[in-house]
Amino acid sequence: MDISSLNLTQVGPGMEVRVSRLECAPNTCQRLREMGFCENALVTKIRGGADLVCWVCGTRVALSARLAKQILVEHVDGRS
Amino acid sequence: MNQDPTKRWVAVIGNPNAGKSTLFNALTGLRQRVGNYPGVTVEKRTGTAYTLHGEAIELIDLPGLYSLSPRSPDEKIAWQVLRGESPGVPRPNAVLCVVDASNLERNLFLVTQVMELGLPVLVALNMVDMAEAKGVRLRPEELSQKLGVPFIPTQAHRGKGLVELRAALGQSLTHPGPRQWTMPPPLAAAVGQIAAAWRESLPAEAQAEGKALELLAGSNRGPEGAKKLALAWRERFGKEAYDWSAAVIHARYEYVRNLLGEAGVLGNKRVASWTDWIDAAVLHPVAGWGVLAVMMLSLFVSIFSIASYPMDWIDAGFTWAGQAIENRMPAGVLRDLLVNGVLAGVGGVVIFLPQILILFFFLGLLEDSGYLARAAFLLDRVMHRVGLSGKSFIPLLSSYACAIPGIMATRTVEDPKDRLTTILIAPLMSCSARIPVYTTLIAAAVPVALVPVWGKALGMLGLYALGTGTAFLLAWLFRKKMLGGGSPPLILELPPYRRPALRTVALKMWERAVIFLRRAGTVILALSILLWFLSSFPVRSDDPTETLAGSYAGQLGLWIEPMIRPLGFDWRIGIGLVASLAAREVFVSTMSIVYHVGGEQEGLVAAMQSATWPDGAMIYTPVTCLSLLVFYVYALQCLSTVAVAKRETGGWGWPAFMMLYMTGLAYGAAWMVQIVGRALGFS
Repeated sequence: MDISSLNLTQVGPGMEVRVSRLECAPNTCQRLREMGFCENALVTKIRGGADLVCWVCGTRVALSARLAKQILVEHVDGRS
Repeated sequence: MNQDPTKRWVAVIGNPNAGKSTLFNALTGLRQRVGNYPGVTVEKRTGTAYTLHGEAIELIDLPGLYSLSPRSPDEKIAWQVLRGESPGVPRPNAVLCVVDASNLERNLFLVTQVMELGLPVLVALNMVDMAEAKGVRLRPEELSQKLGVPFIPTQAHRGKGLVELRAALGQSLTHPGPRQWTMPPPLAAAVGQIAAAWRESLPAEAQAEGKALELLAGSNRGPEGAKKLALAWRERFGKEAYDWSAAVIHARYEYVRNLLGEAGVLGNKRVASWTDWIDAAVLHPVAGWGVLAVMMLSLFVSIFSIASYPMDWIDAGFTWAGQAIENRMPAGVLRDLLVNGVLAGVGGVVIFLPQILILFFFLGLLEDSGYLARAAFLLDRVMHRVGLSGKSFIPLLSSYACAIPGIMATRTVEDPKDRLTTILIAPLMSCSARIPVYTTLIAAAVPVALVPVWGKALGMLGLYALGTGTAFLLAWLFRKKMLGGGSPPLILELPPYRRPALRTVALKMWERAVIFLRRAGTVILALSILLWFLSSFPVRSDDPTETLAGSYAGQLGLWIEPMIRPLGFDWRIGIGLVASLAAREVFVSTMSIVYHVGGEQEGLVAAMQSATWPDGAMIYTPVTCLSLLVFYVYALQCLSTVAVAKRETGGWGWPAFMMLYMTGLAYGAAWMVQIVGRALGFS
């Protein structure tokens, strides 16, 4: 699996990952970045499911799975 | 605008849920909605705070923001105030940034933007106790030194740090120094050129770089030369696929992270907390729904059981007042007005105050504890199916209390079509004004002895479910079929659970009680007196029933009776329907006046149960009561809702549509109840 193919929905709960790319609409991307989902930001997935909960920048943020699929991530140790 | 030019205005700004409104309340003593849920403040509020030297300062509490890039209507309000473009409020002289000390990284991101507005900045480092409990080591002095603006540690919910904050507000605040974050090279070149062009035209502009960034973002305000340059750079960045706005966000966050590191602010690592334990149950795909159902059922059982005691006291109070007047005053028009007009009308509505307060108590607890955001999360999937996002759920939930704050809360919804759909369906959520109508009609429909409290609560829950289910169905129709387009994805902050501040909840209840009683003492009192007059004159007989039939109100009721007869309603119910066009709860006071029963609910229920058609058949059969209940679930009998919908949609078109579809739906559904009821053999 290359870097661009791993998205936030595919990460297991409790795992910490690094945001590698956002592939959503420009306005949504900007909102995500402002809330801490910048490229290179560390994100911990707390809960999975149809909608998911992440820990980013010291807060829990709920995301719809549809949006989480557009947040591409990589493992913190560099594995994709 | 008549304002004291010497008075200083300070805008209070911060991320949602940073404790901004709590601090505002603590400083000003003003009562306003504050909740543990992002986006509770949807309208700017102002209040006077005093410095330690007694200087009065006007504080403006703004809706929560994540950044100064306004997208939703509530963010635009904040943005307009900060730029001095908000009607009725001058440009602030300074900004008080309220930051959540346990989440400095994201909160300081906004502070770096505020510092570029060209206004003096003061930072309240709020909720320091919670940050320290999470192991965050705070260093306010170092932060003040590094960022160049004062940081004052506070605990707004406990009133700590307010003296220091008042002292700081009393001092002359200085402007922040020049930008400290490093702009990436391509952007730095663009901003440098645009800012230079701006300064050529307007040399006095101290924040030319910030203005240049605004022009790049698409603002149309500035000198022509600077605007042309910004357009050229935007096109160039577009061609080169350079995402300059992402670069700015990255650079700011990078700066904030370095700043926190240099200032020695440590901690903020995620550790499992009791919020996670609670969330495991509350957000569980199956158990979560169970929790929601239990909460809702508890609410309705409380409305019927706990509220019955204070309701009995109020009932006894009005009965005593009625008897006292009858014992002391000779029979006549004035006594009739006081007993059958004023006491019957006002008492018939005031008796429901305890139920309304219980509703607000529960909603306050849910809001303040942080559960409301979880409910929105849980419901996002349902909302998504009808074309909305979970964000629309909060305005809809607020509408259970009252559609007016519910419609105003739609300002937190970014997508305009989502917002319009939410406004259109919000009045279908059963508001507190429907409680008097529901409880009276449920009591009239079923004998007290046969149905236990929980049975009535279930009946009430069923009416709420009917309104909510229909609202979702219509949301699907309006959003997906009428307005078109996809629904935006959910991005929602889930605040940590907090013990609800009972003072905050009590303030909300007090606020609602004042609003309700003021309404009872003005609108309902006036309508009661008017209705008493219309139902008492002209006097044609000594028999009250004949007088009512021949009265102005009776004639109106008889005139509309043919139209409402298919619904099982007689002319007396017709009077109630017309009288309650302005406000639903007026139906109960109207029926109290129509049946001459004073302010007691039991008397009204007994009068309704014994009311008959001319052929002796019961009017308030279970089917007719259900038909009337369904009518009130759907009908838009509230002029204040129409007015606020007009304000929020910017015209009369959508409120007129709302009125038409809801009235049509109410009539059609009530008719269907009669048809189906009769077909099933119920009379």
